[in-house]
Amino acid sequence: MNSLERVKLTLQHQTADHVPVYPLINSISRKYLGIDYATWTQNTELCAESIIKATDLLNVDAVCSLVDLSVEAADFGQKIEYPKNRAAHPDSNNRRIKSIADYKTIEPVNPRKTPRMSEHIRLCDKLVKAKGREKAIIGFVFAPLGVLSMLRGPQDIFMDVIDDPDAVHLALEAVTKTLIEYTTALMETGIHAIMLDTLYASQSIMSKQMWNSLEGPYVQRLAEHIHAHDCMVMIHNCGNGIYFDVQIERMNPEAISFLHLPDDCRSFAELKNKYGRKTTLIGHVDPSFLMSATAEQVEQECKKQIDAYKKDGGFILATGCEYPANAADDNAKVMVKTAQTYGRY
Amino acid sequence: MNMLNEISQKLQQGNAKAVKELVQQAVDEGCEVTAILEEGLMAGMDIVGEKFKNNEIYVPEVLIAARAMNAGTELLKPLLSSSGIKAKGKVVLGTVKGDMHDIGKNLVRMMMEGKGLEVIDLGIDVPSEKFVEVAEKENAQIIACSALLTTTMNEMKKIVDAASEAGIRENVTIMVGGAPVTDNFRESIGADIYKPDAASAADAAVQACQAR
Repeated sequence: MNSLERVKLTLQHQTADHVPVYPLINSISRKYLGIDYATWTQNTELCAESIIKATDLLNVDAVCSLVDLSVEAADFGQKIEYPKNRAAHPDSNNRRIKSIADYKTIEPVNPRKTPRMSEHIRLCDKLVKAKGREKAIIGFVFAPLGVLSMLRGPQDIFMDVIDDPDAVHLALEAVTKTLIEYTTALMETGIHAIMLDTLYASQSIMSKQMWNSLEGPYVQRLAEHIHAHDCMVMIHNCGNGIYFDVQIERMNPEAISFLHLPDDCRSFAELKNKYGRKTTLIGHVDPSFLMSATAEQVEQECKKQIDAYKKDGGFILATGCEYPANAADDNAKVMVKTAQTYGRY
Repeated sequence: MNMLNEISQKLQQGNAKAVKELVQQAVDEGCEVTAILEEGLMAGMDIVGEKFKNNEIYVPEVLIAARAMNAGTELLKPLLSSSGIKAKGKVVLGTVKGDMHDIGKNLVRMMMEGKGLEVIDLGIDVPSEKFVEVAEKENAQIIACSALLTTTMNEMKKIVDAASEAGIRENVTIMVGGAPVTDNFRESIGADIYKPDAASAADAAVQACQAR
């Protein structure tokens, strides 16, 4: 059984040979080529090569195209900084949207022609061609509100949504139109799933009602579009008290990648019982724990999660967010080994 | 409803315009400045903090409440300094070097100011030496540092070490926070306080200042 078959069975809530495993190893993959973050982010050939190399060396079951959270925002005109040792990010002193009046200046762009999204499409194409027959390939897309927050700055947009929600909705519409075309292009590469990062759909940021009325309609359209193209929808959210219920209602995702328990669950068992048949659980080893944990501690944590979630499939052992970008890969290896041995069905 | 209670209510609703008008009206009518601050503005922010801690309200609501608080305190500032009222303590706050995230740090500042602490906000991407230099110069009781990335949280250890090297470690309480930070991490780097949310951090800061 290869990784793709393993993941496929798991997503169908059947048991494979063992629990699939995917620590989000993207950014540490740059170390295998000895390149810095800025190069890794901006050179598609090297980025693809490093992700493929890491996938092979660590023998993980999936490949995700996550590079950083500013891919989409860059193409709407946000100035981006590319540090050598950490992820690219917007220039916080120079936001594309400087006032509420600027929201209406956001218009749809063609992701096939803009610099960063077109390169991301090319990255997915390379990943599919190299690994698409044996691994699950997941294209990573920042959801509309996340993209807009990169253009405005989180603090300002959170006040704007109360001060002038109509202005925010206007720009969300333009971003969504772009993302629909973007996901179309990504799906044309042959990826198996698109993972939408709904960063603000948790108690860490806003109420369930606010998220549902603000971003809910847009991600629903995106999810329907993706499903209409026979591609899977996955969600990533590493907030505290993630809103599983409304996101499932809006997007009917095949899988949810999460770090913390949902707002309506108090334990691993409750989560499995409540949502384990509705979607596949991807998670949720804490990356900050991995930074200092011993191999034994990591193994114990993985075993705890495998025990809680592996029954009847529907569980992929993963980090709850990106594997620490400057950490050694030792604990990723422990995760893989534990899934392959202790996680056997 | 008395005026101070109304100030508190309008602050909780995030109505900056109403808060500003009511504070001005209270001053004009001869209300004690400390009463306006403590029973109006800070009382309102206390309720906001509690609701935030209990997941009854979230970041957007806290931000607009803090904006309303600022509208009121700006009016009171000159009156407070002339009346010689002192803050409950002094905090040097910032996001660590290499980290550009500021919303969590700003929420902590708003909550701390709402509790009557003086906060010197160094901003984002702050080197460890800067935290220590300012804390020493300003005779601050607390250094509070924030990190949102696993790539930057180790900067917090540098701040603890820099405080020791500068000989001020025993004079200052070092607080750490941010999404990837945990109490185990705090312990491992020798910092003093970790709190998972801004409201709890402000409560802990007041207690730490009172204990010194």
